[in-house]
Amino acid sequence: MTEAVTRSSPTVDDLLLHHEISQFLYDEAALLVERRYDDWVELFTDDALYEVPIRVTRERGAAWEVSPTGRLFDDTKQTLAVRVARLNTEYAWAEDPPSRVRYYLSNIRVRPADQQDEYHVHYNVLIYRSRGELPEYELLSTQRTDLLRRTESGWRIARRTIIVDQSVLSVRNLSYFL
Amino acid sequence: MTAPVIPDYLHRMWETLPEGRIPAKIFNDPAVHTLEKQRLFSRAWVFLAHESEIPHPGDYVLRWIADLSVIVVRDEHGQVRAFRNACTHRGNQVCKAEMGNASHFRCSYHGWTFKNTGELIGVPYHREVYRGRLDRAEWGLRPVRIDTYGGLIFGTLDPNADPLDEYLGGFQFYLDFFLKPGPEGAEVYGPPERWVSDTDWKICAENFGGDGYHTPVAHQFGFALGFYPSSGRTHFMGYAVHIPGRGHCIGIGHTPGLPPFVGFPPEVVEGYMNALSPEQISVFRDARMSVATVFPNLSFLIQPFSLAPGQPGLKFCTMRLWHPRGPGKIEMWTWCLVPKHIPAELKHEIYRVYSLAFGAAGTFEQDDFENWTNLSRQHAAFNADSFELAYLQGLDLEPIADFPGPGRAFTPYVTEIGFRNLWGTWLNYLLTPLGEPVDPARVPPAFHPPETQPVAD
Ligand SMILES: [Fe+2]
Repeated sequence: MTEAVTRSSPTVDDLLLHHEISQFLYDEAALLVERRYDDWVELFTDDALYEVPIRVTRERGAAWEVSPTGRLFDDTKQTLAVRVARLNTEYAWAEDPPSRVRYYLSNIRVRPADQQDEYHVHYNVLIYRSRGELPEYELLSTQRTDLLRRTESGWRIARRTIIVDQSVLSVRNLSYFL
Repeated sequence: MTAPVIPDYLHRMWETLPEGRIPAKIFNDPAVHTLEKQRLFSRAWVFLAHESEIPHPGDYVLRWIADLSVIVVRDEHGQVRAFRNACTHRGNQVCKAEMGNASHFRCSYHGWTFKNTGELIGVPYHREVYRGRLDRAEWGLRPVRIDTYGGLIFGTLDPNADPLDEYLGGFQFYLDFFLKPGPEGAEVYGPPERWVSDTDWKICAENFGGDGYHTPVAHQFGFALGFYPSSGRTHFMGYAVHIPGRGHCIGIGHTPGLPPFVGFPPEVVEGYMNALSPEQISVFRDARMSVATVFPNLSFLIQPFSLAPGQPGLKFCTMRLWHPRGPGKIEMWTWCLVPKHIPAELKHEIYRVYSLAFGAAGTFEQDDFENWTNLSRQHAAFNADSFELAYLQGLDLEPIADFPGPGRAFTPYVTEIGFRNLWGTWLNYLLTPLGEPVDPARVPPAFHPPETQPVAD
């Protein structure tokens, strides 16, 4: 990792960059809340990876807690598009009637990546889901790591890795995006 | 132990089941859940782990038999063993990680230490406080009886349970399709995915015993968008096989005109040719998909998923355990099994389509759990006396006389014969008192060929 952007005395450019990226992420989350999935998928680069590794309860000091191979989502832009095509049909029963999903973003940290115009963004996302008339709700605490790319047509997501804090999830399914 | 409470409607179910009527209440009732723990999960062979999850000496995973935590470990000599995860001093868990590698397990309460062979090797102040009254040989970890088939490790708490081979009762013939995609067999791809949902385990076990009926509706998107190569017109075709009195059942869906072993990469087709018998090949070569339940709560599925609409797609294999967490509450465990002998990139390609279809985020799994959660909630509210469910499909079918595999085989694939045998077997366990053998011959036949049909009024 190269020089930190959020250092003790940030420049105005640092502040602008942080603001710009935060606004992009809020807007992106709004697309999911509004179920504008076609627009959402277009925010991923053609070579994008979207991954949610399986978390495992391990002893302290174990080589890994986040599986190097197992995934809840192991997606490319192509497979994200398959999911969206399904959600766009009249037969996506898991989302009909739709769940109410909300994303709470916080602790956003921006670091420059190796390529120019690419940034690693680390942040937390608390995801709330309410479904049907059930008073119970689902809550997932997650950590996201994005690789964002600045392009001619705006910010794009080149890689997104989401780590859920539970090893056994308290959800009926994940018919929404994390 | 206090005398088990047996709801009256279970006795009535024994009478109505052969006529294709099942009380909805069995799918979400605290009394049934308790009885399942006392009489079913205490006596059945319950799936613990796949051998590929613990390939090296010292490797262990933590698993469940009903509410009991079980350590499954490969000891220093390569032998697989299973123990109750409970220190023999005060019962505390000696292992708190889901998986790992350990030569010994040490209780964090008073420090008793056990080798991965179960032997008690460390007792603090042994001489000073026990003064010769503690024989370490007597206080090792409590072993759980295990047996294996095709890489599957099963455990049972019943010392008198039939041997696993007998319990599977010929179902091995069908399991090989999932477990032996080559002479070296299959392996898990990564750790299992787990989640807890308000769904009863039984409705899932039944669905994976061959519910081809739900597929064109519940997973209509796959048909409509061309991601799932089947057609509503022919979807019901194929075979349903069950092992009478043992509960195991499989559905084998056929689509006329499909090339043999379509959707499997050439390496896997070759693997099957080398690993399966001619009879097994004749049963599975034309299968579009296959879905099976090993009684009570382990299931397998091989199906294709195509990223490009209208193509045959790529076939994956999932293994899943429907672990009961409470009445109407399941802990879901799902794995992807991949052929051991194929290149790593191909394993990943197969895993990618698996995770797109199954697992909490899987497009097929999402719709199943939406339905299953909603109906489990309904079942909790139903009055047992007034709500029976219709299990009427295939009541008067006759078994295929010359089917190449064991058990009773029927056509078409879409039928409920296997489910009647499944719930008959389940009921047999629940109504047979502890101490008496669970006799598979008691389970009533799941079908009435015309000459034995009960006379109508
Ligand atoms: Fe399904």
